Amino acid sequence: MTQAEIKLCSLLLQEHFGEIVEKIGTHLIKTGSQPLRVIANDTGMSLDQVKKALCVLIQHNLVTYQLQKRGFVEYEASCSRVLRILRYPRYIYTAKTLYSDMGELIVEELLLNGKMTMSAVVRKVANRLTETMEDGKTMDYGEVSNTFVRLADTHFIQRCPMAPETTETSDAPPPPVPTLAVNEKDMYVVPNLNLIGKGKRRRSFDDEDDGEHKAKRQKQDADSKEPPPDDGIYWQANIDRFHQHFRDQAIVSAVANRMDQTSSEIVRTMLRMSEITTSSNAPYTQPLSSNEIFRSLPAGYNIVKQILDQYLTLLADDPLEFVGKSGDSGGGMYVINLHKALATLATATQESIVQERFGSRCARIFRLLLRKKHLEQKQVEDFAMIPAKEAKDMLYKMLSENFVSLQEIPKTPDHAPSRTFYLYTVNTLSSARMLLHWCYKSVANLIERRQYETKENKRLLEKSQRVEAILASMQATGAEEVQLQEIEEMITAPERQQLENLKRNVNKIDASENQVDETIFVLESYIESTVKKL
Amino acid sequence: MSGSGKGRGRAAFTFNIEAIGFAKGETLPEVAFKPPPLFPPTDFKPVPLKMGEEEDYMLALKQEFRASMKKMPYFMQKEDENQGIEKYSKKYLQMRKESMEWTPAGGKTKKGKVATPKSNVDVLKKIEELEKKGDEEKSDEEKEKEKDKEGEEEEEEAGNEQEEYDEEEHEEENDYIASYFEDGDDFGAGSDDNMDEATY
Repeated sequence: MTQAEIKLCSLLLQEHFGEIVEKIGTHLIKTGSQPLRVIANDTGMSLDQVKKALCVLIQHNLVTYQLQKRGFVEYEASCSRVLRILRYPRYIYTAKTLYSDMGELIVEELLLNGKMTMSAVVRKVANRLTETMEDGKTMDYGEVSNTFVRLADTHFIQRCPMAPETTETSDAPPPPVPTLAVNEKDMYVVPNLNLIGKGKRRRSFDDEDDGEHKAKRQKQDADSKEPPPDDGIYWQANIDRFHQHFRDQAIVSAVANRMDQTSSEIVRTMLRMSEITTSSNAPYTQPLSSNEIFRSLPAGYNIVKQILDQYLTLLADDPLEFVGKSGDSGGGMYVINLHKALATLATATQESIVQERFGSRCARIFRLLLRKKHLEQKQVEDFAMIPAKEAKDMLYKMLSENFVSLQEIPKTPDHAPSRTFYLYTVNTLSSARMLLHWCYKSVANLIERRQYETKENKRLLEKSQRVEAILASMQATGAEEVQLQEIEEMITAPERQQLENLKRNVNKIDASENQVDETIFVLESYIESTVKKL
Repeated sequence: MSGSGKGRGRAAFTFNIEAIGFAKGETLPEVAFKPPPLFPPTDFKPVPLKMGEEEDYMLALKQEFRASMKKMPYFMQKEDENQGIEKYSKKYLQMRKESMEWTPAGGKTKKGKVATPKSNVDVLKKIEELEKKGDEEKSDEEKEKEKDKEGEEEEEEAGNEQEEYDEEEHEEENDYIASYFEDGDDFGAGSDDNMDEATY
């Protein structure tokens, strides 16, 4: 874990879970797996607090536990999972685009709570949707359940590992920790629930007479609560599936930018067909025949088979090599080279970064080096058609920032500098890692700056919140226009200006964090694809 | 033999300086004596942010998510030290906070456990026992936590009752009614020592 990652993780934990959880989480990330008492000792916190914090972290899938051979339990935090918190808005937005408001709320509730049972999710989402509907209408549980089932079928949500069934007649003492396991087949199986009901609106002022009656009824409900039928079956959001979706989106838009809309639709169809058949870190999708692709094209696209074949040939011949031809049966077997596509996307990101940082001439040299792999100083000047002095200057600037590296090839065994070739080269993997590190640092800086801005204006923010609360309560009890005006004037014009500025700055910083996360995703996917999985 | 290079005392590089592009005898760029500035001036300004409906919506989602997380019971705040002036609203905020307090399922207070092994057992055995109990407790918590999300409200109520009981247990052993002092426990705990000394 690099320092930048640890800093970013601690800021994210602090913003979302508070300082106690942040302290314990950061300690675990820094020191690896530790047993409970060592954590309490090292962080100086009471055992109760540590237990509570660990519960929160485990609930949100950020910490796992393991029974060690010696008989004690060790807890381990997952730094990369904590960094995913940055991407939560993107997951929720994706669910919205695919499954509309219901999907959005389901995924949001799952991310807010880490793990939930299906009945709890359905109830909460129905209540939330009912609040936004007009008076008198309520959301039916059935619709929400349907969306839930659809999300599970497309693997966007999955079951959490469960504790094994305990048999009554076991003689051995129960193990210190339950070993949680989930069956591969059951991971997306939705329990057969008969959820009937409607969402409840949270009544505020309207029926005060029923207020008491309702409170009584609610208490009765709480007491006579039997465990719901799907007790013990918890669901969580399947982050990997979302990542797969983002990757597919990136590839499709890259093809659309490079060629045209139709070819991107073809690529999208191919990716959709391979969604469930190909694992998320396969180097290329399963081969698809041209006939299959033709059958699966979306209904709106009526292109002739020959045109489709031409498009496929064009895609396969493209130097970017997103699509490859793997055989001739069935009208031509085509695959999508996923790893190559990710590498191309990462490289394009790096080129764009060089261009924005150093200028278009540096970008030209960078692209040249990418193409030709190794070049000498003189060759760079010749190929790029840039005067010698400027070329040297640019190369040294890029070298000092580590975008470009030198490869020494000695002519003589004593490596004398005057008798050695020095070749410039670009190592995309190491630049990608360096840029990823920069991204983590930038996001950490952005969060800190945002917290600083908010802290500076804390007094003003509190005042404006109080004024709003007063306004709201007065409006509810029916105050006159004049009185409302008076209260609004409690905030003077320069203060209002200051508040506006603050809001604009905070929004800008938040938006930047979201967009840096997009770059983080591309670079991370590329680096992950190069790591050989055992 | 010895003393090669251009001349005695002159700096000479081990390689041909023309290879990196400086002509012979030319002034070399100055050496840096201090670390680079914290905010170096950039030649190229950064590209403006992406604007659009999608970005705005995600921004709103992000801020709402953060706000909701702060209200959830998962958010554990450090106890603030007493700020000089006690606000009137603090009492009502306290009530709301207490309703969100929870303890890990199956967690019993340590008081009962410490009292029992006071007897004549070996020190080592006692430690082992406590450790085992501690682990068992944790495993109980884990199991029950998994099934426990539904009973959260019940837990909170139970937790509340337990807290109230604990407060009453902490009553000082004197004839003074605890509620006599309006400021509550803090004041009472402080003046307790003096009281004990005064009674005969």
